[in-house]
Amino acid sequence: MKRLLVVLGAACFVVLLIGAMLDLAPASIALHAAVSANLPSSGVEHPVTAVLLNFRGYDTLLEIAVLLLALIVILAIGIDSTTDVRPAASPVLQALARLAAPLMIVVAVYLLWVGAFRPGGAFQAGAVLAAAAVLLHLAELLPGWQSPGLRLRLGLAGGFLIFLAVAAGLLFQGALLEYPPEQAGWMILLIESGLTVSLGLILAGLFLLLSRDDGDRS
Amino acid sequence: MMVWLILLPLLWASFAFLLGPGRGTWLAMAGLFAQLWLAFALASEIVAGGAVIHAIGGWGAPLGIDLVADGLSAAMLLLTQCIALPLAVYAHAYFKRDDPAVTYFWPLVGFLLAGLNALFLSADLFNIYVTLELLGLAAVGLVAAGGGAQQIAAALRYLFATLVGSGAYLLGVALIYGAYGTVSIHTLTPLITAEAPDLVWIAGGLMMVGLMLKTALFPFHFWLPPAHGGAPAPVSALLSAVVVKASFYLILRLWIGPFSSLTDAAGLVVWLPALLGALAIFWGSYQAIRAERLKMLIAYSTVAQLGYLFLIFPLLASAGALQAGIMQAFAHGLAKAAMFMAAGTLIKATGQDLVAGLAGVAERMPVTLFAFGLAGITLMGLPPSSGFLAKWQLIELALSQQYWVIAFVVLVGGLLAAVYVFRVLRQAFLLAPANSVVTPVPRTLEWTAFVLAAASVLLGLRGVELMQLVGVT
Repeated sequence: MKRLLVVLGAACFVVLLIGAMLDLAPASIALHAAVSANLPSSGVEHPVTAVLLNFRGYDTLLEIAVLLLALIVILAIGIDSTTDVRPAASPVLQALARLAAPLMIVVAVYLLWVGAFRPGGAFQAGAVLAAAAVLLHLAELLPGWQSPGLRLRLGLAGGFLIFLAVAAGLLFQGALLEYPPEQAGWMILLIESGLTVSLGLILAGLFLLLSRDDGDRS
Repeated sequence: MMVWLILLPLLWASFAFLLGPGRGTWLAMAGLFAQLWLAFALASEIVAGGAVIHAIGGWGAPLGIDLVADGLSAAMLLLTQCIALPLAVYAHAYFKRDDPAVTYFWPLVGFLLAGLNALFLSADLFNIYVTLELLGLAAVGLVAAGGGAQQIAAALRYLFATLVGSGAYLLGVALIYGAYGTVSIHTLTPLITAEAPDLVWIAGGLMMVGLMLKTALFPFHFWLPPAHGGAPAPVSALLSAVVVKASFYLILRLWIGPFSSLTDAAGLVVWLPALLGALAIFWGSYQAIRAERLKMLIAYSTVAQLGYLFLIFPLLASAGALQAGIMQAFAHGLAKAAMFMAAGTLIKATGQDLVAGLAGVAERMPVTLFAFGLAGITLMGLPPSSGFLAKWQLIELALSQQYWVIAFVVLVGGLLAAVYVFRVLRQAFLLAPANSVVTPVPRTLEWTAFVLAAASVLLGLRGVELMQLVGVT
């Protein structure tokens, strides 16, 4: 009964929302025109990358902080690690993973590079890297993480720190994240390279840190 | 200058993480000290020369994101940094070196403060959503850190509440963007008129309800007492004193900013926050009077004190209502931080957390009890405290507009606060049972709480400066 009421309420809300959306006039401000007009001085050629790393780069900076924070929260909660008793992975899976992992790294680098001209960039590249790490972990080629050592912590926070350093450095010459147009290209590439590695490690960490106590999963 | 208020905590938080588990205390202290100085410098700059704008990336809204510091944001920044530094000193003395809660304490606190400062400075609806996520996630992490099953359950409930709240807010922002094509507050303010399409009303409603859930306004307060009562004392102090004020600040900012033409045309709806606030005062005080555990009593007192903040909404048309609200935010922030810190010290010393077990502490720990009493004076609204100033102004405004009911609620709320504060004080002055043990605690714990409690009372004498700051636009 309670569930039915919730479903009914949600349905009413959706109908109301769609009804209100249908009689909406076109928006009075067209931001895509401003994006296209400023694209040449943004340092990249793809509008999405220009918005994410330049026009609204501050949002992205804080988003990366949120992702790093999510990993720190998992570490801070400190889930008790139990011994991992999983049946050994099949040799076929292991061979396949060994084959796939280097290819995935190449794909990640390609996605990073192509982000300047086409859909792609650090988030997608990092996700592919993380997927490679998860695959290796599931094939028993990469152990789960306990508490990260200095090198791993440097990898996790490095991308964010590079981004923060560039943002703060530019503050001394003007505004936060105000790239000089002629240098914007390589600065964005530097930030995105750092982010690819760190995002890959963070996303992989979300899985590898939590999988410490999955002893009963087959 | 204001940008460094965001960058500094991000920097020391990440470096504390790099240094490793349990490290980074001194880095954090240095950062917090610099932040306090920056907040004071920013406030005096604004009083002298008006609001300051920083266009990130040099683009300017609506293409880029603007940071704006006016009197309201500067006041909230000041409150946050003023509480954070003594609290950090307290936390350093409170946690044992091997306490699991301290493993990643400093990085979490750093990200939390960065989220708060970024939220107070942002002039962009979507950017505010990102800061809300940073703030909410860090707060949940601090509640859960190193705790047992019960604490993690409270943290999870808090996580669900805060996610639903930010989800509703984000949906509202998406609808606003669909309607107007921008999320910049300053571009939106002249565009949103009383003849706005229905969708904008729905969006405004969603954002307000989401933020009320995050502020734990009655009846959305269900998540607050277990989360604030169950966390370690320094964390409870930080959450109760400033974190819930962040979403209140946003409600206020939207109410008098972009949605002002909507709220002017809304008729009797403007009484809804005040009605919920009045109910929060009664219900929170009632639960605090009944609570058996000391920290639950203080957490329910937070539910009640947050209610006062919402009493200002029907009065916002007249000058001085904004000042009364911010004065109440300061009074409650300073006093509640002091109260949770004093409670943490008492619990550490007596080894238990029941109000009934406090007999005899007045004799053994006079400084801590005095801090608790001073904070209580502010919560009750006795002169010359800042709580008195806030409530006095609220009553004066209400009477000048013939809203007798608001004045009545404020007066009764003060009496109810006296009941639960004196419940604790009376117990503390009883003679200790013969077998009671009070373990000695570091002096730092006693004096940091005292400093904040004294500040909450003394602010009443210097309230004019604060009210002048809040008035700058």
